[in-house]
Amino acid sequence: MSRIGPTSPIVLLIGLIILVAMAMAGLAGTEFALSRYLANAIGQLAAFAVLAISLDLIWGYLGILSLGHGLFFALGGYLMAMYLLKHSFEITATVPDFLQFMGWKDFPFYWAGFEFFPYALAVAVVVTLLVSGIFGYVSFRSRVGGVYFAIITQALVYVAMLLMFRNDTGFGGNNGMTGFTVLFGWPMGTSGMITALAVASLLVLAWVLLGCRWLVGSRFGALMLATRDDETRLRTMGYETLRLKLIVWCLSALIAMLAGMLYVPQVGIINPRVLSPELSLEIAVWVAIGGRGHLVGAVIGALLVNAVKFWLSSAAPEIWPFILSGLIVLVVLVFPNGLMDIAKFKFVRPMGAKRLAADLGESRP
Amino acid sequence: MKLARSALLLAGLAGALLLAPPARAQAQALDRAGLVQELCGDAGAMGRAGATLAATAAAGSDEDRAWAAPLARAAIDRKLGCDETGAVLEEGGLDAVTRTPRAATGTPRAPLLSLRNRPVFELGDAAFALRGAPDPARRAAALKTLERRPALIPERLLDRAAEAETDAGLKEQIDTLAQTAALNAADPAARIRAIGRVAENPSRRALTRISALARDPAYEANPEFRAAVDAATARIERGIAIGDALATLYNGLSFASILFMAAIGLAIIFGLMGVINLAQGELIMIGAYVTWLVQQGLRAVAPGLLDWYLILAIPVAFLVTAAIGIALEASLLRHLYKRPLMSLLATWAVSLFLMNLVRVVFGTQNLQFETPFYVTGGVPVIGDFIFTWNRMFAIAFAALTLALTWALVRRTPFGLNIRAVTQNRDMAACIGIPTRRVDMMAFGLGSGLAGLAGLALSPIYSVNPQMGQNFIIDAFMVVVLGGVGTIAGTVVAALGIGQINVLIEPLWGAVAAKVIVLLMIIAFLQWRPEGLFAVKGRRK
Amino acid sequence: MSLTALLVDGVTVRFGSFRALDDLSLAIDYGEVRAIIGPNGAGKTTLLDVISGITRPKQGRVLFDGATDLTEISEAAIARAGLRRKFQKPSVFKGLSVRRHIAIGADVGFRARLDAPALEDRIDEVLEIVGLADQAGRLAGELSHGQKQWLEIGMVLASDPKVLMLDEPVAGLTDEETERTAALVRALRRPDRAIVVVEHDMDFVERIADRVTVLHEGRTLFEGSMAHVRADAAVVDVYLGR
Ligand SMILES: Nc1ncnc2c1ncn2[C@@H]1O[C@H](COP(=O)(O)OP(=O)(O)OP(=O)(O)O)[C@@H](O)[C@H]1O
Ligand SMILES: [Mg+2]
Repeated sequence: MSRIGPTSPIVLLIGLIILVAMAMAGLAGTEFALSRYLANAIGQLAAFAVLAISLDLIWGYLGILSLGHGLFFALGGYLMAMYLLKHSFEITATVPDFLQFMGWKDFPFYWAGFEFFPYALAVAVVVTLLVSGIFGYVSFRSRVGGVYFAIITQALVYVAMLLMFRNDTGFGGNNGMTGFTVLFGWPMGTSGMITALAVASLLVLAWVLLGCRWLVGSRFGALMLATRDDETRLRTMGYETLRLKLIVWCLSALIAMLAGMLYVPQVGIINPRVLSPELSLEIAVWVAIGGRGHLVGAVIGALLVNAVKFWLSSAAPEIWPFILSGLIVLVVLVFPNGLMDIAKFKFVRPMGAKRLAADLGESRP
Repeated sequence: MKLARSALLLAGLAGALLLAPPARAQAQALDRAGLVQELCGDAGAMGRAGATLAATAAAGSDEDRAWAAPLARAAIDRKLGCDETGAVLEEGGLDAVTRTPRAATGTPRAPLLSLRNRPVFELGDAAFALRGAPDPARRAAALKTLERRPALIPERLLDRAAEAETDAGLKEQIDTLAQTAALNAADPAARIRAIGRVAENPSRRALTRISALARDPAYEANPEFRAAVDAATARIERGIAIGDALATLYNGLSFASILFMAAIGLAIIFGLMGVINLAQGELIMIGAYVTWLVQQGLRAVAPGLLDWYLILAIPVAFLVTAAIGIALEASLLRHLYKRPLMSLLATWAVSLFLMNLVRVVFGTQNLQFETPFYVTGGVPVIGDFIFTWNRMFAIAFAALTLALTWALVRRTPFGLNIRAVTQNRDMAACIGIPTRRVDMMAFGLGSGLAGLAGLALSPIYSVNPQMGQNFIIDAFMVVVLGGVGTIAGTVVAALGIGQINVLIEPLWGAVAAKVIVLLMIIAFLQWRPEGLFAVKGRRK
Repeated sequence: MSLTALLVDGVTVRFGSFRALDDLSLAIDYGEVRAIIGPNGAGKTTLLDVISGITRPKQGRVLFDGATDLTEISEAAIARAGLRRKFQKPSVFKGLSVRRHIAIGADVGFRARLDAPALEDRIDEVLEIVGLADQAGRLAGELSHGQKQWLEIGMVLASDPKVLMLDEPVAGLTDEETERTAALVRALRRPDRAIVVVEHDMDFVERIADRVTVLHEGRTLFEGSMAHVRADAAVVDVYLGR
């Protein structure tokens, strides 16, 4: 319902993303093409940005903080990896390391059919919907929310990590899955493939942004904000907030899954460490730094934090945790709405930080 | 045909066993001259002499034993010279019977032990040595010799030897051998008595020994023996089952204690401020590191007190972590009470910072802790259940913490303030309770309790910068399950989660235990979303 | 349509061992404005909580239209059945504009069912009634206390409810605003609508109420017209004072 002008940040951002994607596609193969490292980094950043949007959708707009979104990211990642391995196996007949490691002759039965991408995608969607749907239903039905919900999701992702660390599950265990060689019949690791994956990620990012912007601007989006601000009030206006929360939660899980599917072919590996509670917490940090409840903020937060992390992890990996914790404290204390505050302080609403925080409507449980 | 014959043989054997007179009847007064004569006799006589010697070692009077002891040795070493008048002990040139000096008449004959008799004499010699040798090493060697032929050991020998034994380790070995010997004795009644005695201390080892008897010929032949074996097996199995159950309970209790210690601070803070402190795990870790530093300090300054570091570190660990907590509250969390989700991120930042700081300062390896005597070893109770002191330390520590925390919250003005602010912050503020101060002090208390948890688990778990992560999620689950800010809820939830973890682990593994616990908690929240002991607050 | 809109039948609500409502029974008819008064903690808000499904009673039932037991359906279903309520503490959505509030109140469902022009008209109409037409674009979080009260009333009105419950609608309002609220409540009175008002302001109650129920310690102390209430010795003792 609310109108967006041509200069609003979201339009500019989507335009920029599409521009970069087109430039990368157009310059591929020429002397102006980006280095493989840079192209790959852009692609990964785009996947992280999608992941950040998925969390912002439920945290920023619905007030539900998940500290376990890595679960859905990993789900997409693992199922994508299964497709890649099975597909590579069909073409190159190389048996994946983890099978050899376990001394297994063949793929376990549940790997059947994963060489077909549509099947893998369908399984990913169904499993994500099942997991998020069941967990969301039981949590929201019993009205578990706030900090409770956050730490239960954290426990969920932690338990999933322990499970995947086991070597007998048929998902690569400790070492995870790697050695992907072919994607949709094309060899992986070439400049062309790297650029293609990055461009695809950028386009998915633009598309997800657009879709989410449409959603939060709609009447449904208004109901999301209403749920965030005062759920009981909305319920006593005749709205089944359980259904609403469940829909958004599952949608968010699907977007996170999508991010995982984009991410894995670009890094070439997936292992249980994506399920560590730290990664899931970090997603929340990206969103907090960018500014909750602003899609643009989530994207910028993800890009900024990860760009610094990429850079530091080669330059000085041991100081990264200190910088990250410093950043969090800074954001939490000084800029409760992240980067959005910096913009707003100056131009729009000269208000105290406290007031802004109150506006975002987080209330005590 | 063959079967019938072996059955007949077995029956005969059993009959012989039953009818045979007690082989080593108590020698009332030793016929010394007769014994020496037999020693110089033929192989049969020598065999009887050997048996008499062994019997004497077991049941003879002190003088008789002192008299007979050299004979066995001399016979083995062929240092016994037989002549017309009797025999001479070559060593020292003494008459074998009277032990007065005399020279041998004519050319003395040194009798040779037959292959059958040799072990009998060796056994006798060892028997004397076990009871008489002053050097423990010799007694131990004698015991080794006896162990080789448990069936031949005279009945009361080992009991008496055990009574007199001063070395604890040796004594235990003698007891074990005594049981084995009795189990393999020739006299069925003695065997049955021995079976009963073994069953009195059930353990897996006892079970292997008794169940081995089911393959003994006597098991088929002698119904009384069979009944005894079966009864003992049943009794031992029951004992083992009880022991295993107790061990599970005990391990569960000690795990629950650690969980409780980790969670109680969290629960108090959560109840009071609605803040979950994700850095609680790191405060536990710091508690353990402070304990280690106290140990190192004592090692350098007062090595004599080293054993007491666990006790001396209690106030230090508490105060250091409490101070960190207070600093945290004052600088960070104070500004976040209205934004609990942001406080999650903030405390995570603190956790990240502390973990990496410790990693940089101390490195990532596990710390080495001394094991003071009061947390070493344990008391065997029943079956294979050993009441170990290190776990007991954690349990007692948790119990004490619980009592003190309870008293603090229920019985002091500070506790009253905490409860008031927990129930209704605004009202508490209105009646003049300094809520900010209460928050700060309570945060300090919660953090200090985490430090104590670190201390309590340092004798059991490995201590490294990542250790906090291992407990923290379980601790969260305790808080969720127990309900906001109730001590009782925390206790019950810790016990429940601790026990369930320990119960499931042996069946399906640690990971399955965690999965099942989480699923159970989620299911439980369907029924009671506020946790076990929720204090219902009201909306608006 | 039966004459009785709400029948509260033997309702008991406990918080721990404390009975906030104690075997309470009362009937509210269509066409009337019923005031519920009583000292602090008498259980007035708890009664509205039970009717709107937020609190589930230990015992008893609440019949709506003589057929539906409200204690067995969800809050949302109760609201969709036509029972709406304004909370004691103004409850608005800080992040939404005034206009959006009325839209949410006017039409239930994740997608709007009224066609757009009809909805816009309805919103304008309600905004006019509650006097917030010039605030339509502002965020609710920025409104003053009185404006929030009005906004909530507007939100509740927009759905054209059969049973309208107002918990302390004039608390914190100026005399002039109270005056307007009283006029509004009288204007909302309709033969096919029951209005329940919880208030401490006796003059306000006197102006609007057809009948008054006095609650005390979770029970009905008295029921009748305001004039009779003022005359009743027991009520004067526990609540009104001399
Ligand atoms: N969730 C709850 N937990 C515990 N006690 C509660 C809860 N809700 C209400 N109470 C208690 O029930 C009693 C009745 O409360 P209620 O809000 O219904 O009173 P009221 O008549 O609306 O009072 P007021 O005029 O102050 O609004 C009060 O003593 C209150 O403290
Ligand atoms: Mg009230």
